[in-house]
Amino acid sequence: MLRFQGCFLSASTVLFAAGFASAQEVRLFSFEGYAEPEWVESFEAETGCSVSAAYTGSVDEMFAKMAGSDGADYDLISIDTSIIQRYVDNGLIIPFDMSMVPNTANLLASFTNVAEVMSGGETYGVPMAWGSLGLIYDTEAFPDGVDSWEALWDPANAGHVLALDDANNNVTNAAIVLGIDDPFNLSDEDFDAVKQKLIDQKQYLISYYAGFEEGVNIWDTSEASLMFSMGEFQAVELANRGYDVVYSIPEEGGIGWLDTWALSKGVQDAECAHKWANHYLNGDTGPTMTELKGYGNTTDESPGLDYADKLIWLRPVEDFDRRVQVWNEVKAAQ
Amino acid sequence: MRAEDCVLWGFAALFILIPLASFLVYGFFFVVDNSVVYRPTLANFAEILSNDSYRTTFFKTLRMALEVSAINLVLGYATAYFIWLRPPAWRNFLVIALAVPLLMSYIIKIYAMRGVLGTNGLLNSVLLALGIVDEPVSALLFNLTAVRITLSVVLLPFMVLPIYISLERIPNSVLNAAADLGAGELQTFARVILPLSLPGGIVGAMFTFVLASGDFLAPELVGGIEGFTYGRLIFSQFGLAFNWPLGAALSILLMIVALAVIYMARRLGNPRWQR
Repeated sequence: MLRFQGCFLSASTVLFAAGFASAQEVRLFSFEGYAEPEWVESFEAETGCSVSAAYTGSVDEMFAKMAGSDGADYDLISIDTSIIQRYVDNGLIIPFDMSMVPNTANLLASFTNVAEVMSGGETYGVPMAWGSLGLIYDTEAFPDGVDSWEALWDPANAGHVLALDDANNNVTNAAIVLGIDDPFNLSDEDFDAVKQKLIDQKQYLISYYAGFEEGVNIWDTSEASLMFSMGEFQAVELANRGYDVVYSIPEEGGIGWLDTWALSKGVQDAECAHKWANHYLNGDTGPTMTELKGYGNTTDESPGLDYADKLIWLRPVEDFDRRVQVWNEVKAAQ
Repeated sequence: MRAEDCVLWGFAALFILIPLASFLVYGFFFVVDNSVVYRPTLANFAEILSNDSYRTTFFKTLRMALEVSAINLVLGYATAYFIWLRPPAWRNFLVIALAVPLLMSYIIKIYAMRGVLGTNGLLNSVLLALGIVDEPVSALLFNLTAVRITLSVVLLPFMVLPIYISLERIPNSVLNAAADLGAGELQTFARVILPLSLPGGIVGAMFTFVLASGDFLAPELVGGIEGFTYGRLIFSQFGLAFNWPLGAALSILLMIVALAVIYMARRLGNPRWQR
């Protein structure tokens, strides 16, 4: 079908990007913590490609931005394995030329044959980081620890809870808390139960947050002591700011994700983009990222991330749009 | 039409009317499988009108915008009046000082307000230091009150400037005449100054109302769970759900309200209505 978006609203964006994107540049659109000076500088020195990074607050936001411009604004995006097929189906990403990513030889065995990064025999994702959506708690407020997600629904904690603003992750996590067998394939009744569970939580929340930094900033300006986290990086940031926090996966389990670099349909400098994905697997970038940002890497051991067996790994869901719709209704509910 | 008018209208059409129309027309399309289908439909409007949560959010937001306008009318009038009474040299300085925040990034101002209102914030430190409260008040941030306070502060210049301008335009001769005819200060204010400067207040209230009703950043950043306003509803259709048609349809409704308010302000802002 003919898509007019390019002619109308994003015409200016496209023109701007076309006119100003210099040669030898890779434009990243990712979650925070994936483009740090520690490995950006070595990449720029080795390849002569410069890096510009934009950050997203949620999985939903990233998809809407990519769909809105047909990917014209970015070269590489960081998406988790469960959503790759959705991007493929919408024609927003294109396959890698794997001969230009020789460092995939460095991948640990568990990441060499990930089925979800493949589609139609082509490789659409280069596994580069993994982690979880855990629970962060303040040890001063909870000296005995927190071992259940139900703490986020406990009236005693009202006014001390933060949750992320992201449709799929909230729906999935609520399904996990409710003990639904397959949190990625919900029935109509499951959807009703999940929606009610999420609405019930609102009375105890300070705020939703979108983005790693935003969550940490709200923690800083409020009386937060519990957080449904976007990932390990937030615990690292909170510790940097002097908070005594613990990052944990409660007994119900927690969402696990495997992020990949994926090539945008609107890629301008495909060579630099491939080089960036390759640089990420050089055996140096990954461990540095784990050390500084707390994410698991895909080329070496990841010290500190000892809870992989408690994670429920994100899988493609029954109807992503329905989840976005349900989430909007939760947020609008009085 | 003169040549200048042609150029002016040409610019308006090219840079305002055509982009706006090309955006609003999306409200009559729909989305299937993340692609916009360009066939006219009224389905978006039917959905908005039949969905309770859209309606409640709409009226909640209008009410909040109205409250912000009312707060700002009082604060803004007092500020403008205070500036107007200063000696001329002072006046210019104060007006410029008031306009300086308009040059700052909007998002920085909201973050600054978060710093002021937070539990470790400026306001709480002052309240603690003065002994007014024993422990930090958390009720100042992440609720609708925080949105009201933030919008009132951020939008204040839009209220003060039009009121100040209408005060400035009151001729001295009129004030002298009031004094000559024996009017006291209070009487002069109530029967001469206030009626003559109120049109500025109406224009300011219009600015504040329209800006507050469409805002989505302040509600998101300081509004917490209560801060899901109509502007955020629109934003989420574009920025999260990728449903541009529904977002455009929601925008059309807000635009109708905004145009109605601007029209009313034009009628009321004309001093002749008072006679």
